[in-house]
Amino acid sequence: MTEKVEYWVKIPFGPIHPGLEEPEKFILTLDGEKIVDVDVKLGYNLRGIQWIGLRRNYIQIMYLAERMCGICSFSHNHTYTRAVEEAAGIEVPERAEYIRVIIGELERIHSHLLNLGVLAHDIGYDTLLHLTWLAREKVMDTLEAVSGNRVNYSMVTIGGVRRDIDEKKRRAIEEMIKYYKEVFPQIEEAFLHDPTIEARFRDTAVISKRVALEQGAVGPTGRGSGIRDDARWSERLGVYPDLGIKPVMPQDVTGERPRGDVFDRMAVRIGELWQSLELIEHALDAMPDGPIKTFPKDNVLYAKLRLMVDGEGIGRYEAPRGELVHYVRGKKGSDKPLRWKPREPTFPNLFAVAKGVIGDQVADFVVAVASIDPCLSCTDRVAVVQDGKKKILTEKDLLRESIKKTREINPDIKGDPSPLGVGCVR
Amino acid sequence: MDVMSNVVYPVAGLLGLYAFVSLASLLWEGIDRKLVARMQRRIGPPIVQPIYDFLKLASKETIIPNTANYMFKAAPVLALATAIALLAYTPMGFEPILSGKGDVIVFIYLLTLISFFKMLGAISSGNPYAKIGAAREATIMVSREPAMMLAIFTIMWRIGKLGVDKPFSMRTFYQHNIWEIGTPMSFVGAVILLYVFAVWLASEIEVGFFNIPDAEEEIAEGLLVEYSGRYLALLKLTHSLKAFISASLVVAIFFPWGISGYFGLTGLSANVADLLFHTLKVFVVLFVVQSVFRAVTGRLKITQAVDFLWKNVFLASLIGSLLIAMEVIM
Repeated sequence: MTEKVEYWVKIPFGPIHPGLEEPEKFILTLDGEKIVDVDVKLGYNLRGIQWIGLRRNYIQIMYLAERMCGICSFSHNHTYTRAVEEAAGIEVPERAEYIRVIIGELERIHSHLLNLGVLAHDIGYDTLLHLTWLAREKVMDTLEAVSGNRVNYSMVTIGGVRRDIDEKKRRAIEEMIKYYKEVFPQIEEAFLHDPTIEARFRDTAVISKRVALEQGAVGPTGRGSGIRDDARWSERLGVYPDLGIKPVMPQDVTGERPRGDVFDRMAVRIGELWQSLELIEHALDAMPDGPIKTFPKDNVLYAKLRLMVDGEGIGRYEAPRGELVHYVRGKKGSDKPLRWKPREPTFPNLFAVAKGVIGDQVADFVVAVASIDPCLSCTDRVAVVQDGKKKILTEKDLLRESIKKTREINPDIKGDPSPLGVGCVR
Repeated sequence: MDVMSNVVYPVAGLLGLYAFVSLASLLWEGIDRKLVARMQRRIGPPIVQPIYDFLKLASKETIIPNTANYMFKAAPVLALATAIALLAYTPMGFEPILSGKGDVIVFIYLLTLISFFKMLGAISSGNPYAKIGAAREATIMVSREPAMMLAIFTIMWRIGKLGVDKPFSMRTFYQHNIWEIGTPMSFVGAVILLYVFAVWLASEIEVGFFNIPDAEEEIAEGLLVEYSGRYLALLKLTHSLKAFISASLVVAIFFPWGISGYFGLTGLSANVADLLFHTLKVFVVLFVVQSVFRAVTGRLKITQAVDFLWKNVFLASLIGSLLIAMEVIM
C-alpha cells in the first residue's frame, strides 16, 4: 500500500513584506509555485481604537474615527456621523448633504487612483505607478483647497459639514474636473488595453459570484464578481438618488461578462472614477443655498446630543473599498456611546480573496491582495488572543485574568468585582 | 620575453579592463536609473548613485543567517571571479585577451555559470523566498539559452563558410560580420536574430517582462533576499558586469565596426578609442533593451515568460537561423 507524498512548502507572507504595505500575515501553502492554501492572520496592527472611543464623547469620536485610516478618513467620519444622526434623530440641511457628496467623491477619486498605482507597482510596472500618482496630486491639491488638509479633512460634523464651498473653492473643483477629463482617458487606455496588464490581471484571483456572496464581499470586489450592490444606491443615501447614482459594473467598462478577476475589479474602479467626476459636476450644479449645519456651535451640539441620543443608530456608506458600517448605541443623559462598532469593507473582502487565490501562482498573490484595496489599518481593531495551545480567550477569561492581575497588584482592594460576563460597560 | 607577452601583458590588460568595465557598468546603472526616472517624470538619483551604493554596501555589516552553509559566502565571490574571467573572453572593440578555438562555448558557459553561482548561494541561505527565486531563475535560464545558442552557432557556422581560420572563436567577429553575407534572405534572418538577441539580453539582465527571479514585490528580491553588506555589493557589481558583458556580445555580433580605422590610430591609442566607442555602443544597446523595455512593461508570471521564450523567441531563432543557413544548404 503506497501513500501519496505531498511536497508542500509553507511560507509566511508578511507581517513585513515589500509587496504588502501594512503589517499583515498570510501563511501560504505552496506546491511549487501553486498556492494550495492560504491562512490569514489578522491583528498585527491593533491600536484599540474602539476601546479608546468608548472613553470619549460623541464629538471627540468624530476625530478619532477619521484617524482610523488616512485614505478613507472622510468615509469613516461620515458613516459615524450618520449613525449618530440616526440615533439622535437629527436632520441634515440639504446643502450639507451636497457638500458631503462632493468631498466623498473627491476622496473616492484619490483612493481609486492610489489603488490603480499600487496594482501597477505590484506587477513591476512602475511607469504606470508614477503617472497615476502624478495625476492623483491634483485631487489632493483640490482637497487641500477645499478643506485645508490633504488627509483627514475634518469636513463632516454631526448635523452638517464644518466648511462651506464658496466660489473660490468651486473654481478649484471645476479646474480639477477639466484636468481629469484630459487625464482619465489616458489612464483608462493604459490600464484597459495594455498587454502586460491584460496578461497579469485576466483570470487572476477569480472570485466567483457564489464565493463573493458567501463571504459577503462588498464594494468593487463584490461588483467585480457580479453582485449589483452599492450602499449609496441600495440605501438611497442622502441626495445620491437625486444625482442619479447607480452601481458601476465591470460590463459597463469592459463590455464583457464579469468574471470576478483582478481585471474586473480594476475596471470597476476606472468606471467609478468617471462616475465620481459626473457626480461632483451634478452636485456643484444642483447645490442649493442655505445653512450647512443644524447646530451652529459645538457646545450646543454637545448639550443636545446628551439629550437626544437615545437608542441605536446605524450608518451605512459606500467607502471607496466597499460598504462601511458604523453602529452606535447611546443612552439619554450620557455624553459617551455605550457601544461603537465600525465594520470595515476589507474584512469580508480579505477572506473572499483568500478563497479566490487558491490554485493561482505565488506571483498572483500580491496582485490579488492589492486588488481588493486592503486597508488593514482599518481592519485591525479587534484582536483575537490565542495562547500556545491556540485556545481562544473569551471575554470571561479576559475579565478573570484582569481581576487576578488587579488582586496581585493591590491585595487590599475592597469589595467584589462585578459578576463575570456582564461585559465592559463602563 | 615570453613571460612578458604571455603572462604579464594579459594580466595587466585584464586588470585594466576590469577596472574600466566596473566603473563603466556601474555608471551605466546610474544613467539607466536617471533615464527611466525622466521617462516616469521623476527626477531620479544622481548618476553616480550606484557607485555610492556599492561603497556604502561594502562598508556595511554583513549578516549571515544561521541556516546558511559555506556556499552562501563563497557564491558571491565565485560569481564575481567568473565575471572577471569572462572579461578575458569578451570582445571589447578589439580582440579578446584570451582567445582560441571554441571560446564562444567558454563564453556562454561562463555567462551561465554566474547565474548558477547566484542560484547556489540563494539555495544555501535556507530562505524559502530565495528558494522560490532560485527555482524561477533555473526555469527561465533553461528557457532562454537554447534560442541564443542556436542563433549564435548558426551565425558562427555561416561566417565560417566565408573563410576564417577559427570559426567558433570570438575573433571571427573582427574578420567578418553578419551583414557581410550579403543576400536579402540572410539580411532578413539577421534582423530576426537581432530580435532574438534583444530578448535574450533582456532576460539575461532581468528587466521588464523578465524581472521574475528578483521580483521585489512578490518574493522580496528572491535570490538576494538574505544577502547584505559586502556580499550584496559583490552580487550587485556582478550583475552590472554581466549586463555589460552580455550587451558586448550583442554589439560584437551585430554592430562590430570600430572607430580607430577612420582616425588612423594604431597600437594602444587605437585600443582605447575602440574601447570607448564600444562602451558607447553597449550603452545604446542597453538603453533600448534595458531602459525603454523597463519603462514600458511590467513583469510576467514565470509560466507566461517560459511560454514566450519557447513559443515566440525560440521559434524566431529557428526561422532566422534557417534563413541564414538556407543558401549554404541549398
